[in-house]
Amino acid sequence: MSRWARFRRFFGPDPAGDVDVELSFHLEMRIRELVDEGETPARAREIALRRFGDYDSSRNQCLEINERRRRRMTRTEYVTELRQDVGYALRMLRRTPGFTLVAVVTLALGIGANSAIFSVVHGVLLASLPYRDAGRLFQPRMLYPDGTVYWALSAPDFVSVREHSRVFEQVEAYTTGTFTLLGAGEPQEIRGARVSAGLFELVGWRVALGRGFVPEEHRPGQGTFAVIDHGFWQRAFGGDRGVLGRKVLVGGNPYTIVGVLAAGERLPDVVDMYAPLEYDETFSATTATRRRAEYLEVLGRTRPGVTAVQVDDDLKRIGAQLQRDFPDTNDGLTFTSASLRARIIGDVQRPLLVLLGAVGLVLLIACANVANLLMARASVREGELAVRVAMGAGRGRLLRQLLTEAVVLGLAGGALGLLIAHWSTRALVAAQPADIPRLEEVGVNGPVALFTLAVALVTGLVFGLLPALQATGGRLQRALREGGRGAGPGRTAHRVRAGLVVAEMALSVVLLTGAGLLIRSFVELTRVNPGFKAEQAMAFRIALQGDEYAKGQQIRDRVNQFEMRLRALPGVTSVAATTVLPLSGQGGLIDFQVVGAPPPPANVNREIGIASITPEYFTAIGTPLRRGRGFTTHDHDKAPAVAIVNEAAVRRWFKDSDPLGQQVEMSGVRREVIGVVADVRQRHPGQPVAPQLYTPYAQRTARTVRIVVRSAGDPIALAPAIRAEIRALDPNLAITDFSPLEQLVTRSVARPRFYTALLALFAGVALALAATGIFGVMSYAVAQRAREISIRMALGARTGQVLRMVVGRAVALAAGGALLGIAGAMALGRVIQNQLFGVGVADPLTIGAVVLVLLGSAALASFMPARRAAALDPASALRES
Amino acid sequence: MGEIKTPGQDILRGTLDLLILQALSFGRAHGYGVARWIQQATGDALAVGEGTLYPALHRLEERKWISASWGTSENNRQAKFYALTKLGRARLEIETDNWRRYAAAVFAALKAAP
Repeated sequence: MSRWARFRRFFGPDPAGDVDVELSFHLEMRIRELVDEGETPARAREIALRRFGDYDSSRNQCLEINERRRRRMTRTEYVTELRQDVGYALRMLRRTPGFTLVAVVTLALGIGANSAIFSVVHGVLLASLPYRDAGRLFQPRMLYPDGTVYWALSAPDFVSVREHSRVFEQVEAYTTGTFTLLGAGEPQEIRGARVSAGLFELVGWRVALGRGFVPEEHRPGQGTFAVIDHGFWQRAFGGDRGVLGRKVLVGGNPYTIVGVLAAGERLPDVVDMYAPLEYDETFSATTATRRRAEYLEVLGRTRPGVTAVQVDDDLKRIGAQLQRDFPDTNDGLTFTSASLRARIIGDVQRPLLVLLGAVGLVLLIACANVANLLMARASVREGELAVRVAMGAGRGRLLRQLLTEAVVLGLAGGALGLLIAHWSTRALVAAQPADIPRLEEVGVNGPVALFTLAVALVTGLVFGLLPALQATGGRLQRALREGGRGAGPGRTAHRVRAGLVVAEMALSVVLLTGAGLLIRSFVELTRVNPGFKAEQAMAFRIALQGDEYAKGQQIRDRVNQFEMRLRALPGVTSVAATTVLPLSGQGGLIDFQVVGAPPPPANVNREIGIASITPEYFTAIGTPLRRGRGFTTHDHDKAPAVAIVNEAAVRRWFKDSDPLGQQVEMSGVRREVIGVVADVRQRHPGQPVAPQLYTPYAQRTARTVRIVVRSAGDPIALAPAIRAEIRALDPNLAITDFSPLEQLVTRSVARPRFYTALLALFAGVALALAATGIFGVMSYAVAQRAREISIRMALGARTGQVLRMVVGRAVALAAGGALLGIAGAMALGRVIQNQLFGVGVADPLTIGAVVLVLLGSAALASFMPARRAAALDPASALRES
Repeated sequence: MGEIKTPGQDILRGTLDLLILQALSFGRAHGYGVARWIQQATGDALAVGEGTLYPALHRLEERKWISASWGTSENNRQAKFYALTKLGRARLEIETDNWRRYAAAVFAALKAAP
């Protein structure tokens, strides 16, 4: 077969075939002409081909050009069609403002909630930390044999880690404390930190003003220079550039300010003022001295490419080395580590992700609702769509049109949602709930806007797809035949809509159950007896520093004077001082041992909470003494050392014996147990009470004390008088944390309250959306079945029966949803398990309440459509159809 | 088959577009018709490489200087016919002018004194 004849076979619509036809036509014509001129056919073909030149090259060039044209045309066509679709969608949406408003607001709520929570998640969890190579920063910590982790290292252990580590390229340390600052306006308490020589460099900090520290300033006694935090510079010095060289008294010691840090640079903890860490003889890898005095938070940057596991292995190796080298101090001890990220974000990750999941479910419900609305509308629009089909639009084209409408709706919802997110994050940040770390970095920014755009687009596709598929299904031809009046949805459409409602109900149940469990936990938490009476009592903190308070006796005398003067105030019933307030989450731990009892195994935590109190303390906080006696003024520093323990300590350490009269030993001091006091929650109401030991303040004096004042009336009304009394004795004293004891209780449950409130809010929105969904479906069903209902009524059905039929159908749908939802809630319950308190995941009370609420809402939502059905006039309904 | 190069070919390459437009200025024609016209009008400048005519035609079509449509040839065969568009006609005038000026300049140069 000849070459060009073969090409003829490719005749057809394909561009390659077209080119072949065109080219072979040329050859054929040439050959015919040559044959006419007298050439033999074979010779003619040879000449024709030679004249033509490179056939394949010409062919390929033509195809290339055609392909380029085709692609450009499709693109233009697509853009034109898209513009048409968007314009058409906007016109359609404008024509049904009620529908559009409901859909956009529903979507805006769903998307806005997602954007708001995402902005929190992004700011708190995802955004990078403000440190150089933050991903390579790790904190070595002490790991005790019983699994207790201590956040600080001793100076010798720090130097050992620094010198022996193979994974860290730099290891630095700092220690923080609270001090009274004099010389900058009113006396005030500040947070101070002493930092090792390379810390600023390690975290990549710059100074905005002045300088950092020089090596000589880290020598013992030379660290009298200070670099201040930028925010503190603004607050305390009004941003005065003349602050450099200024002398201030911090904790009674003089410091010269030499630098101001650049804005935004801070340690994980808030620090106002930095001073050089002075390297004394304990900063040595070879000394055994003070290896168990742990006070340095250590921060190390790994070499690039080192994993967390490698860091831990390396630290374990160093720990083993130290156990061999210093068996007296380091036996059984080793190191562990946490990334700085984990240290800062801590335990908020899980709850925030749960919230993000919850708003995701809310958005899904919103999607189902809008899909439902769209489907109801699609049946109205069937005529219009059928006309478009008749005019030549294919199913794909119609699908695209409907999806465009959905995406336009989604984007409108997204835009409004972004506004909602903006407002709500601002409100959230302003409310400062539950000291969530890095909250100040939360806001609607680029990534959040991108997230919102993506969510809006996906949302549009998700809720648009089902109705679009449904609407462009096979019924359009029929609709056209019926004169565009609308054929009514098929059974499938109705089933799909019912399915959507069931899904909404199920999702609502999941959210409601989660919220219900958290609410129950929260109620349980607030029901926990904290062990003290918070009403009518308040506390404040003072720190006695400086020359006036060089000796313990001076401090004790001053505290005693305060107590006496405050006691004299009218209405005050008792006054006491303590080093640790209940529920404050603070307080020291100390190793402790009952004298004469068999020593516990080495891997048992022997720590006990410790607090120093003045005699009236238990009266002031309202905690009953169970046995023995309380402290008196006779338990002074020259008297025999005594201690009071709580009931948890008795259960833990004095199982079979009477604690009264026994000796306990801590820090090398033996004390006689003289009393047992009721348990007081020191840390968190959700945690079991830990063993606690109290010592007389006179025998264990601290510079920082909290003074508790109980009064007959409102203690806060006494605040000015209390301040005046304190000032009268020492005008240089900073008084801080002035607050009612009740606030300690509130603050201790602030985080659970925050999460619970948000989740309850989302669950409420979900329920409202689901109820709206059921309302829509039932209204529609009633309208569709008007004829059937009319016939039933004409045949003698009573109003009550019709009501029952409609409401019963709604409740049946809700019950189906509830069943699915409970199964889902059980499956998802694990994610919030560690946030629950006093209630299990499968709490029958919660589940029962949720089901009742859900069925009730469904009945309520369907009542109006049911009334409408019952009010139908059989005659007219029958005539109309 | 050996390559035979004629001196006309390179000149033609730059002016093929102009020749096609000129060929179509007398009415619609298929590719072979255009080739025939060029053969006669230029003394067979396209004797080798008639194939290059087709990419040129497609390119001109892409630029919307000529339009294409399928039709039946004089011997009843399916053939693609090309016609000059308005745009193409305007282009032909511009290109013709340019060519005249260019040719005149070259002639002037050739006649110029050393």
